[in-house]
Amino acid sequence: MWAYQKRLQYPVNIKKKDLRMAKLLVTQYGGSNGELAAALRYLNQRYTMPDNKGKALLTDIGTEELAHIEMISTMVYQLMKDATIEEIKEAGLDPHYAEHNKALYPTDANGVPFTVTYFATTGDPLADISEDMAAEQKARAVYENLIDLTNDPDVIGPLLWLRQREVVHYNRFKELFKHYEKMFNVKNDKKMNFPTNQNSNNQSGNFLDNMSQGLNNMSQFLNNFTQEM
Amino acid sequence: MYSYNDYLSNDYLRNTTPSMMNNNQPNLYTPEEGYNKGNLFADLYQGYKDYQPVKLRATNEKDALFLELSRYAFAAHELNLYLDLHPEDTTMLALFNDYRTRANKLMMDYESKYGPLTISSDELSNSFSWQKDKWPWEGGNS
Repeated sequence: MWAYQKRLQYPVNIKKKDLRMAKLLVTQYGGSNGELAAALRYLNQRYTMPDNKGKALLTDIGTEELAHIEMISTMVYQLMKDATIEEIKEAGLDPHYAEHNKALYPTDANGVPFTVTYFATTGDPLADISEDMAAEQKARAVYENLIDLTNDPDVIGPLLWLRQREVVHYNRFKELFKHYEKMFNVKNDKKMNFPTNQNSNNQSGNFLDNMSQGLNNMSQFLNNFTQEM
Repeated sequence: MYSYNDYLSNDYLRNTTPSMMNNNQPNLYTPEEGYNKGNLFADLYQGYKDYQPVKLRATNEKDALFLELSRYAFAAHELNLYLDLHPEDTTMLALFNDYRTRANKLMMDYESKYGPLTISSDELSNSFSWQKDKWPWEGGNS
């Protein structure tokens, strides 16, 4: 289960309203590379991790992403809360106002609502963790795009901090990926390598040798079978 | 930057056993610098353009206590993520436990003075002060 702490992981105190920035920033809540997708991605993938390192890391980073949702939501809320109807119309947020007034709602910067198709679970730790590494890099890139789009230090500060968290998480996931690669012996498993001259005479065999042996056995079996008929 | 040797010179770890000495330790920032940067691990830090992280400062006693809590809670969390992958690292475990106990003490201290941050707080025993103060998005404690 989870326990809430009534505090932000890093302070957010935005004093100037900025509707345009609110409209863009919300993508790190409900966009394809946002914090909601991150939290759901990790908290769904954790169940089928092959060891406790993966289960622990995905639980703990997934939990931190929930705190990042709260930070982004706080930023969007503070950027919007004092806006007039005229300002909302001017910033192109009138469709949002029509549906949600000034309430929070997870969308991307174009107003497209959040969807779970933004993330995957495959039950394969190497596939899942490499998605997680890519997700952290994409979120870092989006934070950089957003930093480029504002001059408000009250907005830039938390964005720089959240961007750095993506850097740390990426490196942790990379470490976990290497650990699983080693664990599953991916690089040394001859069955997963295309055969080379060096190992074609190997006792343990390679994919093509095994397959051709299998085909011989099968044709032997079929010969015997037709003879019996 | 805060080196591993600086840390060993602290009273806290003066009696550290030699078996805990290890040259493969990551370079860590102090909780203060790490919290400002959003990264406790100096080797992993990666800035963006010429932007500098905010040097967070407190202007009153309440903010100072809250900032101190945030720093140690963050440092403990960073070591938590590291220990998830390196549970056998006794040096980092000792540091984690130092930061964790400091964060817990600071949390209790803050709650006793300024009200509950968690619903399990002892500060709720006399009155239900959970919804008394501002919420985090209203500038409740930062």
